Amino acid sequence: MTDLLQLVFAGLSQGAVYALIAIGFVSVFTVSGVINLAQGEFAALAGLVAISAVGSGLPLPAAAAVALATVAIVAVLMERLTIRPVKRMTTLVSLILTLGVSTALKALMLLVFGPNAEGLTPFTPGGFTVAGVSIRYQELWILAIAAVVASAVYWFYDHTLAGKSLRACAEQPVAARLVGISLGRASLMAFLIAGCVGAVAGVLASPIYFTSWESGLTLGLKGFVAATLGGLVSVRGAVLGGLLLGVLENLTAGYISTGLRDAVAFLLLIVVLVARPSGVFGRHAEARV
Amino acid sequence: MRCKTATARVAVVAAAVTLVLAGCSESADSGGDAGPADESGPIKIGAVLDITGAGASLGVPERQTLELLAEQLQAEGGIDGREVELIIEDNQSTEDGAAQVMNKLVNQDQVDIVLGASRTGPSLAMRPIAESSQTPMISLAANQAIVDGSEWVFKSAQNDRVVIERMIEYMADQGWSTIGLARDASGFGEGVQEMFDEVGAEAGISVVAVERFAPDATDFTAQMVNLRDAGADVNVIWGIPPAAGLAQRAYAQLGLTTPVMQSHGIGNQVFLDTAGESANGLVAPLGRLVVAEQLPEDDPQQEVITAFVEDYTAEYGEEPSTFAGHAYDGWHLAVDALREAGTDPQALRDELEGVEDFVGISGIFTMTPEDHSGLAKDALVLVTVENGDWTLLPDQGN
Repeated sequence: MTDLLQLVFAGLSQGAVYALIAIGFVSVFTVSGVINLAQGEFAALAGLVAISAVGSGLPLPAAAAVALATVAIVAVLMERLTIRPVKRMTTLVSLILTLGVSTALKALMLLVFGPNAEGLTPFTPGGFTVAGVSIRYQELWILAIAAVVASAVYWFYDHTLAGKSLRACAEQPVAARLVGISLGRASLMAFLIAGCVGAVAGVLASPIYFTSWESGLTLGLKGFVAATLGGLVSVRGAVLGGLLLGVLENLTAGYISTGLRDAVAFLLLIVVLVARPSGVFGRHAEARV
Repeated sequence: MRCKTATARVAVVAAAVTLVLAGCSESADSGGDAGPADESGPIKIGAVLDITGAGASLGVPERQTLELLAEQLQAEGGIDGREVELIIEDNQSTEDGAAQVMNKLVNQDQVDIVLGASRTGPSLAMRPIAESSQTPMISLAANQAIVDGSEWVFKSAQNDRVVIERMIEYMADQGWSTIGLARDASGFGEGVQEMFDEVGAEAGISVVAVERFAPDATDFTAQMVNLRDAGADVNVIWGIPPAAGLAQRAYAQLGLTTPVMQSHGIGNQVFLDTAGESANGLVAPLGRLVVAEQLPEDDPQQEVITAFVEDYTAEYGEEPSTFAGHAYDGWHLAVDALREAGTDPQALRDELEGVEDFVGISGIFTMTPEDHSGLAKDALVLVTVENGDWTLLPDQGN
């Protein structure tokens, strides 16, 4: 029983990171139909920037802020320079474009930060044990901040004018344009959100899971699977998908074989795409976002 | 649904295109300067290292070492007046990457000898190319399989077998008889369990639980929970940093108090930084380099190690790791042999096979036709970690 709880808890904290990245996929995909393969790189970049900012003497909160700002700028620039200029964006074009951006970002990170994997200083070092389950304070930080950020995004879509206009673009692009909503601005906003949640995920995960120039690939893939579990169009689905994936990975590693840990995500992806393409949590034709 | 299937297909195509493009750009820089190996032009030493990817903490110091030594050799005027050209390639810590650049070094650059790779998997991928092209190769990695029965391949890191012999000795001394093993899932960890069982059989020591982790894994909760349940007398973590350090940290964090031993794969600062306080008290057989200052004055390796540490620290502002030491040994084995035998492949190979009492960083090498590694278990000392630094264990259990 202790083992089960331990595995589930570790899975939840890892899953929370996947969930944040999945939100990034969802926010961009719903508005513009773009699958942003550079989403994982946002997280890696944030981690690396935060690590080197701490290394140069900044306090942790300031370093996190610098990382967040950097990634937000990168995300906005990416949208303006590579997504906006394309006249007829299809999912195919978006994949090739964002794969290019992802590769370029990776090369840049390798050049700037070097090849070694490093970890950020934990927000609160150490941990404690409850009922035989050992918990790191950093894991609590991950869960708490991920919950706050996810709720904020959810609230933004549901309760603010800007958020509602994003949903309008997602559901009825033509009608949205007719009532005066700018698709360009909506797309920019979506990338900004994606950059921010990606950056938060990257900074949160770095102390435990470490960051290197190439860690974005795995994070991005897992985040994508999590988003797909939720049908790729729902923030709530993305969060549940992320948590589910994290827990399943850990249970598989603990009870079946550690070698299968990374296979879980992709097995799930296949099963979901074949059996329930609209996501495991959603009803068919559920309203987007 | 249709959209998503198409999406997946597109992703595969896009990835393939990208890889092809990357491949093209890499081969584009190979000029037509490759002439047949002759006795007048520059001597070419190739190196295949894990500079990026999971083996970066090994490959980077190795590259720095080779660059430093090549510069020193250049300043001395090369080998017998011939210039020495060092060509370093990155295998990105992958097997196919290693095979690809090995082919390039052998076929296009026509190097006289190859050093590398940093890790076992990539080294194994290079071995058949070295054998078929009859190019002498000195791997910097651990697994004995790299040189077992080889004709053209040698290695400078201690064999995993001698490491395991040293560990079993220590375990027997402590009265432990069951081992819980968490091992690297790649080439470095391959066959380790079997070897523990084989070497330990006489002392009645055996492996009772095995967990695996990918060399780039970051979460070790599952493995450590299973080791905790196995309840062995001693747990062995067999990997390289940063994974080995993260595993050590998870071990402590999950409240395991059973003694831990690690392999000789952890001899660098990255391990200490990653593992932090959790490393205190572990025992590992390592090369003498990491405890250079604590060695007795009369240690035969003292002089070589001290000189290397000084040179390396002066150049890079940090102390060399044991991996830097493997590169140093590989380089000097190669250069000494080139000096004696010239660039004729067969003569060079025979010269390497005849190396006797070469005092290096990782030990004193004596090669034989049967043993292309040249190091015995006295090349290792038992080291523990105290307050975040390597400390020579007082009881070497000899």
